[in-house]
Amino acid sequence: MTSQSQSLTLRERAESYMSLIGPLAMIFAIIAVMAVVEPARYFRLSNFDIILKEAALYMPMAMAMTLVIVTRGIDLSIGSVAALTSIVMAYMVKSWGYPWWLAVSAAISFGALCGFINGMVITRLKVPDLIGTLAMDLVYRGLCLIAVKGIVLSRFPEEIVAIGRGDIPGFLPLPVVIGLVTLVAGYFIYTRTYLGRYAQAVGSNPEAAELAGVPVDSTRVRVYVLMGAMAGLAGVMLAGKLNAVQATSAPFFNLHVIAAVVVGGTSLFGGRGSMLGSLCGVLLLAMMINALVTLRIEFFWQSVASGVVIIMSVAFYTWLQRKDRDGESNWLGALGKPENIRMLRLFGVIVAVLIAIFGLGAVLPEPAAT
Amino acid sequence: MTETDAPVVSMRGITKRFGGVTALEDVDLDVYPGKVLAIVGDNGAGKSTLIKILTGVYQPTAGEMMMDGKALVMASHADSIAKGIDAVYQTLALADHLTPAANMFLGSELTKSFLGYRYLDNARMKAEAERVLKERLGVVLRSMDVPTDSLSGGQRQAVAIARAVYSTDLKVLVMDEPTAALGPQETARTLKLIEAVRDQGLGVVVISHSLDDVFRMSDHVQVMRRGRRVGVVKTSESTTQEVLGMIVGASDQGGAAA
Repeated sequence: MTSQSQSLTLRERAESYMSLIGPLAMIFAIIAVMAVVEPARYFRLSNFDIILKEAALYMPMAMAMTLVIVTRGIDLSIGSVAALTSIVMAYMVKSWGYPWWLAVSAAISFGALCGFINGMVITRLKVPDLIGTLAMDLVYRGLCLIAVKGIVLSRFPEEIVAIGRGDIPGFLPLPVVIGLVTLVAGYFIYTRTYLGRYAQAVGSNPEAAELAGVPVDSTRVRVYVLMGAMAGLAGVMLAGKLNAVQATSAPFFNLHVIAAVVVGGTSLFGGRGSMLGSLCGVLLLAMMINALVTLRIEFFWQSVASGVVIIMSVAFYTWLQRKDRDGESNWLGALGKPENIRMLRLFGVIVAVLIAIFGLGAVLPEPAAT
Repeated sequence: MTETDAPVVSMRGITKRFGGVTALEDVDLDVYPGKVLAIVGDNGAGKSTLIKILTGVYQPTAGEMMMDGKALVMASHADSIAKGIDAVYQTLALADHLTPAANMFLGSELTKSFLGYRYLDNARMKAEAERVLKERLGVVLRSMDVPTDSLSGGQRQAVAIARAVYSTDLKVLVMDEPTAALGPQETARTLKLIEAVRDQGLGVVVISHSLDDVFRMSDHVQVMRRGRRVGVVKTSESTTQEVLGMIVGASDQGGAAA
């Protein structure tokens, strides 16, 4: 064991950058495709402005979600928290006459409170993260609907609009600056603070963390509080960007942010995360959605695309983590295994049933129009 | 036993009952500085319970403990660490994604402050971890920046031991099955680590099922059977057969000698 100081292999060196290679490769793929298909409209300065502003909205949440997922947690309630906080902010400036900066502070603090409640549900009531935040998502969304019914609250002070879509002359747009600042702060939290270190330890080995005297539960609560506060900030940014708020705002924040974080190489099994990877993930998703819009593909396809990207990246990282990758190159060989043949048969049965149902529908006489 | 040194920790007449079940009955144990004491015995012989009392996890039902001649009472494992007795568990209790330095300082991180704000001093933790591993255990890792799970079994053990010897003014190191999951080469390295700790004057207590390893590393062997101490032998004056006999109860001669 003494002086065994050979240097790291190339593979080991590359491994720490894996979280960047994945999303960067996909970003270049999008650039390459768009350069061929639609270069004129995609590579315009105004389009990059749109992409960056779209990405900026998700940056604060991606930062906090990275920490949440690093602790083996997940937060599905952030969309509703963002909607709820933006409604709180809207009421404060519109109905109660608060100055914009107090309303913004209140929105962020209110988001933190929602995060604290999530943390309590998970650590004190021992409800698993997935179920706990899914249920709280329903609660927060319900509160949104109770508060504003179907009304759209709009026309906010120009400062709030600036937070959502303001430009700094000769520099990046204001929301992009806010987003990048939160990510830099997240990088500092992750690498240089007790919270980041403990989040990593809790996600890596909760029992060992407990033994070493790490406050496991309070670490988890704190990352959820940070998550809630960032969702609150995102609520403000969204309200400013659209200059309007309604109860059904931000329906897919949760999955979009989780997708960005997971694409960026943060492990859903905890312990491993990357702020830079999350930044790349957010940019990738914004570019992807923008590309779909530029190609005039129907808006609803972006949900399909996000889902496919999540599956692909998780499968890719899981494959990377596997130590034994032999015997996988031969796809036809895999068909020889009895278990796989059974799967194939099951698939065949399902398809056959579907074909039979549709075939039957075509054969039967059409019902008389009523 | 003819020792010139006084034991650093001794246990006298330790009895532990869980409800109606007696796990330990009137057990003595002496840990000497700079010596390795191996505890052997069949499953259920009381080794683990004894170790848990020594490390403050359990409190004895009866009996007393002394450290350097003074009464030793420990309310918890944290208490035992504060008094200089720490354990390295079989699972090592490492956070695999963290670097060796982060693991060593987990829960007691070094910090520096900027305008009164305290944040982690990763550079100093890395340097300290590197120094402790090298100076106290003779271990140089290929890199201090890799996650701990990319290290070999012996190196992971070294990180776990380094955490114990660094975090306190350690007097006694307890190791539970240190070689259980290791191959021959890694076992040899772990035995070297134990030697290094011993040579620094610490008392080492090792639980092991492998009599081979026990005879390679220990100075004394304490044999347990059914919650009692069957005997203690000096490793250099005993044989595997004799110890094996004591474990299964074929001969009880060691008991009188102790």
